[in-house]
Amino acid sequence: MPSVAQTVRVKVLFFGRLKDVVGQAEEYVDLADASTIEQLFARYSARIPELAKYRSSVVASRNQEFASWDTRLHSGDEVAFLPPVSGG
Amino acid sequence: MAPPLHHDDIFELVREPIDPRPLIQHVRAPEDGAIVTFDGFVRNQSHNRATLYLDYEAYESMALAKMREIGAQLHEKYGIHRVAILHRLGRLEIGETSVFIAVSAPHRAAAFDACRYAIDTLKRSVPIWKKEYFEDGAVWADGELPPAPVATRGAKPAS
Repeated sequence: MPSVAQTVRVKVLFFGRLKDVVGQAEEYVDLADASTIEQLFARYSARIPELAKYRSSVVASRNQEFASWDTRLHSGDEVAFLPPVSGG
Repeated sequence: MAPPLHHDDIFELVREPIDPRPLIQHVRAPEDGAIVTFDGFVRNQSHNRATLYLDYEAYESMALAKMREIGAQLHEKYGIHRVAILHRLGRLEIGETSVFIAVSAPHRAAAFDACRYAIDTLKRSVPIWKKEYFEDGAVWADGELPPAPVATRGAKPAS
Protein backbone atom coordinates (compact mmCIF):
# COMPACT_ATOMS: atom_id res chain seq x y z
CA MET A 1 0.00 0.00 0.00
CA PRO A 2 1.16 3.61 -0.44
CA SER A 3 3.73 4.64 2.11
CA VAL A 4 3.47 8.37 1.40
CA ALA A 5 0.86 10.07 3.57
CA GLN A 6 -1.81 11.75 1.55
CA THR A 7 -2.03 15.51 1.99
CA VAL A 8 -5.40 16.97 2.84
CA ARG A 9 -6.68 20.52 3.20
CA VAL A 10 -8.46 21.68 6.34
CA LYS A 11 -9.88 25.04 7.40
CA VAL A 12 -8.46 26.46 10.62
CA LEU A 13 -10.16 29.18 12.69
CA PHE A 14 -8.91 31.23 15.63
CA PHE A 15 -11.09 33.29 17.95
CA GLY A 16 -10.75 35.88 20.69
CA ARG A 17 -7.23 36.42 22.00
CA LEU A 18 -5.93 33.51 19.92
CA LYS A 19 -6.85 35.42 16.78
CA ASP A 20 -4.80 38.35 18.07
CA VAL A 21 -1.82 36.11 18.85
CA VAL A 22 -1.88 34.32 15.50
CA GLY A 23 -2.64 37.51 13.60
CA GLN A 24 -5.43 36.05 11.50
CA ALA A 25 -8.89 34.61 11.97
CA GLU A 26 -8.83 31.78 9.45
CA GLU A 27 -6.82 30.02 6.81
CA TYR A 28 -6.66 26.80 4.86
CA VAL A 29 -3.72 24.54 5.60
CA ASP A 30 -2.42 21.40 3.97
CA LEU A 31 -1.36 18.59 6.24
CA ALA A 32 -0.88 14.84 6.22
CA ASP A 33 -4.16 12.95 6.28
CA ALA A 34 -5.06 11.76 9.80
CA SER A 35 -2.88 14.35 11.50
CA THR A 36 -4.20 15.16 14.96
CA ILE A 37 -5.52 18.47 16.23
CA GLU A 38 -2.56 18.45 18.66
CA GLN A 39 -0.14 18.23 15.75
CA LEU A 40 -1.89 21.07 13.97
CA PHE A 41 -1.67 23.28 17.06
CA ALA A 42 2.00 22.35 17.50
CA ARG A 43 2.66 23.45 13.96
CA TYR A 44 1.26 26.89 14.74
CA SER A 45 3.15 27.02 18.04
CA ALA A 46 6.40 26.33 16.22
CA ARG A 47 5.70 29.29 13.98
CA ILE A 48 4.32 31.52 16.75
CA PRO A 49 6.04 30.57 20.04
CA GLU A 50 3.72 32.77 22.14
CA LEU A 51 0.82 30.54 21.16
CA ALA A 52 2.27 27.62 23.14
CA LYS A 53 1.51 29.49 26.39
CA TYR A 54 -2.19 29.17 25.67
CA ARG A 55 -2.25 25.42 25.06
CA SER A 56 -3.71 24.57 28.48
CA SER A 57 -6.45 27.17 28.17
CA VAL A 58 -7.68 26.28 24.70
CA VAL A 59 -10.33 23.85 23.60
CA ALA A 60 -10.60 22.64 20.03
CA SER A 61 -13.54 21.84 17.83
CA ARG A 62 -13.87 19.81 14.67
CA ASN A 63 -16.83 20.54 12.41
CA GLN A 64 -18.57 22.63 15.09
CA GLU A 65 -18.29 19.97 17.82
CA PHE A 66 -15.88 20.09 20.75
CA ALA A 67 -13.12 17.62 20.00
CA SER A 68 -10.28 15.99 21.91
CA TRP A 69 -6.69 16.83 20.99
CA ASP A 70 -6.09 13.36 19.56
CA THR A 71 -8.88 13.76 17.00
CA ARG A 72 -7.60 12.93 13.52
CA LEU A 73 -8.27 15.33 10.69
CA HIS A 74 -9.41 14.60 7.20
CA SER A 75 -10.05 16.49 4.00
CA GLY A 76 -12.58 19.28 4.32
CA ASP A 77 -12.61 19.35 8.12
CA GLU A 78 -13.07 22.68 9.88
CA VAL A 79 -10.99 23.01 13.03
CA ALA A 80 -11.30 25.89 15.47
CA PHE A 81 -9.16 26.82 18.46
CA LEU A 82 -11.32 28.39 21.16
CA PRO A 83 -10.16 30.35 24.21
CA PRO A 84 -12.33 30.40 27.36
CA VAL A 85 -15.79 31.59 26.32
CA SER A 86 -17.28 34.77 27.75
CA GLY A 87 -20.70 35.23 26.23
CA GLY A 88 -23.72 36.38 28.18
CA MET B 1 -45.98 9.76 24.18
CA ALA B 2 -43.36 10.77 21.65
CA PRO B 3 -42.09 14.32 22.05
CA PRO B 4 -43.17 16.76 19.37
CA LEU B 5 -40.64 17.06 16.59
CA HIS B 6 -41.03 20.77 16.17
CA HIS B 7 -41.05 23.14 19.13
CA ASP B 8 -41.10 26.46 17.27
CA ASP B 9 -38.27 27.79 19.43
CA ILE B 10 -36.11 30.79 18.51
CA PHE B 11 -32.30 30.76 18.46
CA GLU B 12 -30.60 33.77 16.94
CA LEU B 13 -27.40 35.79 16.85
CA VAL B 14 -28.25 39.39 16.06
CA ARG B 15 -26.42 42.66 15.47
CA GLU B 16 -29.31 44.99 16.24
CA PRO B 17 -30.77 45.86 19.66
CA ILE B 18 -32.86 43.05 21.15
CA ASP B 19 -36.55 43.83 21.74
CA PRO B 20 -37.80 41.36 24.36
CA ARG B 21 -41.51 41.94 23.84
CA PRO B 22 -42.09 39.87 20.66
CA LEU B 23 -39.94 37.09 22.14
CA ILE B 24 -42.04 36.89 25.28
CA GLN B 25 -45.16 36.96 23.12
CA HIS B 26 -43.74 34.18 20.95
CA VAL B 27 -43.24 31.73 23.80
CA ARG B 28 -46.59 32.53 25.45
CA ALA B 29 -49.46 30.12 24.81
CA PRO B 30 -52.81 29.25 26.42
CA GLU B 31 -51.53 25.94 27.79
CA ASP B 32 -48.74 27.72 29.69
CA GLY B 33 -48.93 29.19 33.16
CA ALA B 34 -45.50 30.78 33.51
CA ILE B 35 -42.82 32.57 31.58
CA VAL B 36 -39.38 33.26 33.05
CA THR B 37 -37.03 35.62 31.24
CA PHE B 38 -33.35 36.45 31.64
CA ASP B 39 -32.07 39.80 30.42
CA GLY B 40 -28.28 40.04 30.48
CA PHE B 41 -27.03 43.57 29.79
CA VAL B 42 -23.80 45.52 29.74
CA ARG B 43 -22.53 46.61 33.16
CA ASN B 44 -20.73 49.94 33.54
CA GLN B 45 -17.68 48.47 35.26
CA SER B 46 -15.51 45.37 35.34
CA HIS B 47 -13.21 44.60 38.28
CA ASN B 48 -13.67 48.22 39.42
CA ARG B 49 -12.60 49.68 36.09
CA ALA B 50 -15.10 51.85 34.25
CA THR B 51 -16.22 50.08 31.07
CA LEU B 52 -16.71 52.20 27.95
CA TYR B 53 -18.35 49.52 25.81
CA LEU B 54 -18.10 45.83 24.87
CA ASP B 55 -17.50 44.10 21.58
CA TYR B 56 -18.85 40.56 21.14
CA GLU B 57 -17.77 38.03 18.56
CA ALA B 58 -18.86 34.43 17.98
CA TYR B 59 -18.01 31.29 16.09
CA GLU B 60 -21.43 31.77 14.61
CA SER B 61 -22.23 28.38 13.10
CA MET B 62 -21.10 26.53 16.22
CA ALA B 63 -22.68 29.03 18.61
CA LEU B 64 -26.07 28.55 16.96
CA ALA B 65 -25.66 24.78 17.06
CA LYS B 66 -24.84 24.94 20.78
CA MET B 67 -27.79 27.24 21.46
CA ARG B 68 -30.09 24.75 19.73
CA GLU B 69 -28.60 21.95 21.86
CA ILE B 70 -29.41 23.94 24.99
CA GLY B 71 -32.97 24.34 23.77
CA ALA B 72 -33.32 20.62 23.17
CA GLN B 73 -32.01 19.95 26.69
CA LEU B 74 -34.60 22.31 28.17
CA HIS B 75 -37.39 20.30 26.57
CA GLU B 76 -35.88 17.00 27.69
CA LYS B 77 -34.95 17.97 31.24
CA TYR B 78 -37.70 20.37 32.22
CA GLY B 79 -40.63 19.72 29.90
CA ILE B 80 -40.88 23.36 28.93
CA HIS B 81 -43.28 24.53 26.25
CA ARG B 82 -41.11 26.91 24.23
CA VAL B 83 -37.84 28.85 24.46
CA ALA B 84 -36.25 31.85 22.80
CA ILE B 85 -32.51 32.49 23.14
CA LEU B 86 -30.93 35.51 21.46
CA HIS B 87 -27.39 36.81 21.75
CA ARG B 88 -26.24 40.07 20.28
CA LEU B 89 -22.85 40.52 18.57
CA GLY B 90 -20.74 43.56 17.75
CA ARG B 91 -20.39 46.74 19.77
CA LEU B 92 -22.74 47.13 22.76
CA GLU B 93 -23.06 50.21 24.94
CA ILE B 94 -23.63 50.27 28.70
CA GLY B 95 -27.12 49.05 29.57
CA GLU B 96 -27.79 47.32 26.26
CA THR B 97 -29.01 43.74 26.30
CA SER B 98 -26.38 41.21 25.21
CA VAL B 99 -28.39 38.06 25.84
CA PHE B 100 -32.10 37.45 26.26
CA ILE B 101 -33.81 34.20 27.17
CA ALA B 102 -37.53 33.53 27.54
CA VAL B 103 -38.90 30.17 28.64
CA SER B 104 -42.55 29.18 28.90
CA ALA B 105 -43.92 26.19 30.78
CA PRO B 106 -47.16 25.04 32.35
CA HIS B 107 -45.76 25.74 35.85
CA ARG B 108 -43.26 28.18 37.31
CA ALA B 109 -40.72 25.70 38.71
CA ALA B 110 -39.85 24.29 35.29
CA ALA B 111 -39.66 27.77 33.76
CA PHE B 112 -37.35 29.08 36.51
CA ASP B 113 -35.10 26.01 36.48
CA ALA B 114 -34.89 25.87 32.69
CA CYS B 115 -34.08 29.56 32.34
CA ARG B 116 -31.31 29.29 34.93
CA TYR B 117 -29.92 26.18 33.22
CA ALA B 118 -30.01 27.93 29.84
CA ILE B 119 -27.99 30.99 30.85
CA ASP B 120 -25.51 28.99 32.93
CA THR B 121 -24.92 26.53 30.11
CA LEU B 122 -24.70 29.28 27.51
CA LYS B 123 -22.00 31.07 29.49
CA ARG B 124 -20.01 27.85 29.85
CA SER B 125 -20.30 26.24 26.44
CA VAL B 126 -21.40 28.57 23.65
CA PRO B 127 -18.45 29.95 21.64
CA ILE B 128 -18.97 33.68 22.12
CA TRP B 129 -16.33 36.13 23.37
CA LYS B 130 -16.43 39.68 24.63
CA LYS B 131 -13.72 42.29 24.55
CA GLU B 132 -13.98 44.97 27.21
CA TYR B 133 -12.96 48.51 26.29
CA PHE B 134 -11.69 50.88 28.97
CA GLU B 135 -10.24 54.42 28.96
CA ASP B 136 -6.73 52.98 28.86
CA GLY B 137 -7.09 49.95 26.64
CA ALA B 138 -9.04 46.79 25.92
CA VAL B 139 -8.92 43.20 27.16
CA TRP B 140 -10.63 39.94 26.28
CA ALA B 141 -12.86 39.11 29.25
CA ASP B 142 -11.91 36.17 31.46
CA GLY B 143 -14.12 33.29 30.55
CA GLU B 144 -14.85 29.65 31.14
CA LEU B 145 -13.15 26.84 29.30
CA PRO B 146 -15.91 24.70 27.80
CA PRO B 147 -15.89 21.02 28.76
CA ALA B 148 -14.45 19.05 25.87
CA PRO B 149 -13.75 15.35 25.38
CA VAL B 150 -10.36 14.37 26.77
CA ALA B 151 -9.65 11.65 24.23
CA THR B 152 -11.42 10.04 21.33
CA ARG B 153 -12.99 6.79 22.43
CA GLY B 154 -10.71 3.84 21.89
CA ALA B 155 -8.06 5.98 20.24
CA LYS B 156 -4.42 5.19 20.55
CA PRO B 157 -2.22 8.13 21.53
CA ALA B 158 -0.90 9.96 18.50
CA SER B 159 2.80 9.46 17.96
